[in-house]
Amino acid sequence: MSEPIRVAAVEDIDEGEALLLQPEVTGASEPISVFHGEDGGFYALDDECTHETASLADGLVDGDTVECPKHSAAFCLKDGRALCLPATRDARTHRVEVRDGEIYLHPGVPAQA
Amino acid sequence: MSVESVIVVGGGPAGFAVVQRLRRGFFDGTVTLIASEGVPYDRPPLSKEYLAGTTDVEAIRFEPAEWFAEHEVDLVTGDVSSVEPDTGEVRLADGPTLRADRVVFATGGAAALPPIPGVEQSHDAGTVLTLRSLDDADALRARLGPGRRLAVVGGGLIGAEVASTAAGTGTEVVLIDPVDPPLVAAVGPELARRLHDMHAAHGVEVRTAAVAQVEAGEEATGRALRIHLDDGSEVAADTALIGVGMVPRTALAVAAGLEVDGGIVVDETFRTSHQRIYAVGDVARLRTDDGELQPRAEHWEHAVLSGGAAGAALLAEAGPSAGPEPIESPWFWSDRHGVHLEAVGSMAAPGRTITREIDGAPAVAFRVDETSRVIGCAAIDASQAVRVARRLIARGTVVDADDLADPDVPLKQLMRRR
Ligand SMILES: Cc1cc2nc3c(=O)[nH]c(=O)nc-3n(C[C@H](O)[C@H](O)[C@H](O)COP(=O)(O)OP(=O)(O)OC[C@H]3O[C@@H](n4cnc5c(N)ncnc54)[C@H](O)[C@@H]3O)c2cc1C
Ligand code: FES
Repeated sequence: MSEPIRVAAVEDIDEGEALLLQPEVTGASEPISVFHGEDGGFYALDDECTHETASLADGLVDGDTVECPKHSAAFCLKDGRALCLPATRDARTHRVEVRDGEIYLHPGVPAQA
Repeated sequence: MSVESVIVVGGGPAGFAVVQRLRRGFFDGTVTLIASEGVPYDRPPLSKEYLAGTTDVEAIRFEPAEWFAEHEVDLVTGDVSSVEPDTGEVRLADGPTLRADRVVFATGGAAALPPIPGVEQSHDAGTVLTLRSLDDADALRARLGPGRRLAVVGGGLIGAEVASTAAGTGTEVVLIDPVDPPLVAAVGPELARRLHDMHAAHGVEVRTAAVAQVEAGEEATGRALRIHLDDGSEVAADTALIGVGMVPRTALAVAAGLEVDGGIVVDETFRTSHQRIYAVGDVARLRTDDGELQPRAEHWEHAVLSGGAAGAALLAEAGPSAGPEPIESPWFWSDRHGVHLEAVGSMAAPGRTITREIDGAPAVAFRVDETSRVIGCAAIDASQAVRVARRLIARGTVVDADDLADPDVPLKQLMRRR
């Protein structure tokens, strides 16, 4: 799964927003969300919260974190770290690259923190 | 005196949060967690997924048992029977006496059993139940299913959740509450109405009355219980679940001579009236630095934040630290009939309420004070609104009422505007 795929143009995802990508698109086993952090960076995490069942794409991006829409567990967008309860497991990251205004995702390749 | 050892009494979310904070903050002393229920688990699923049978015990534990050993937390399953503040001695009901430099009370609360004639007898007989622990949830779950009839007494958060989960299992449910609608103080009248009306729409029979008496009912009704209401009517049921609130477990603190006033009184670092003892979670009652006693919080997030804050205060006592954590506005969630409810701040504080409709129904209610700052927010299936409101509250942002009411104005925009 090392082939990067083009997922969107930079202007397609506003700052503080996320794009949810289904497995059919990425070839990964789980949905992945690409976030445009408020620090300007683009990051990708497994979309499903590690606590129960919720889509992180519906969460609130704050700085370089995303807060789950269900019980407010927060994850670091950069390294997937679970920052507070109720989540105790980190979210899986995927590498994102921005080249010539296009966003490329490497599904299954961890982001280097 | 330096702090080299901490004992936490109680393994609910608050007690677990203390331990987690200490280890995340590299506290290098000994940490002991004494928990009558063993490996800490989370309570909210007990009225939701766990009661419905869609999740199991392992999934609702904060961390597996090994985590405690890996993080050098001595997890002791047992009941503390007394604490001696001056010496730091903690006595186990059937076991040794331990000692620590600091003791944290995280003893939570027990479900309240109202003094209604017959309730105690039927509770002893196992037909009137309450819901606070895993064992309680197992007992209740065993009495749900098609053909069974459940009376839920109390239409607040837990009562409503149980009614919803039970109805989902095919149980016939009657929900009894003298107030119509309940929860106005927590979410405002508009959302309270909408939430309460969901019960009838999902096949739950709602009775607006108070329970006057409970008696064994086999002979009269063919059901174990015959519940008399104060409007003269009756409800027959196999089981009654009482959800009328909780009573903080303060007995240990009273016996230890700590200041207790409807909860163990703590300062903003969650320290009690004795410098060796802290208290966190549902059992604690905050007195802010201006001397005012605050209402006791009974929600998950307060439990976790207070536990984290006490952990931080202990770290500060043990060495240099980053300083106290801010106290956040109270936040809670609840789930019923497939919708997710959240609220933050106060919907009852002086001010006015502005509602935002989504698909023609009131979905978000904002409480705004006379300076046009948001002081509370409640939302049905719109948790993003609550996430934003919480930041508006924390930052004291002045808002425009028309923007709050207009569903076409993205809420995030209000947060980012300055
Ligand atoms: C069914 C249910 C559903 C809920 N749902 C929600 C929700 O959706 N959202 C929300 O915000 N909040 C919810 N809550 C509230 C939330 O769970 C509580 O606020 C939270 O559990 C309080 O945590 P705590 O650690 O202070 O106390 P508790 O969770 O009560 O834990 C205290 C622990 O201490 C132990 N203990 C007590 N005395 C001793 C002793 N002497 N020795 C050893 N151990 C002792 C007890 O056995 C218990 O395990 C719910 C509560 C219940 C019961
Ligand atoms: S599902 Fe994300 S915090 Fe619970």
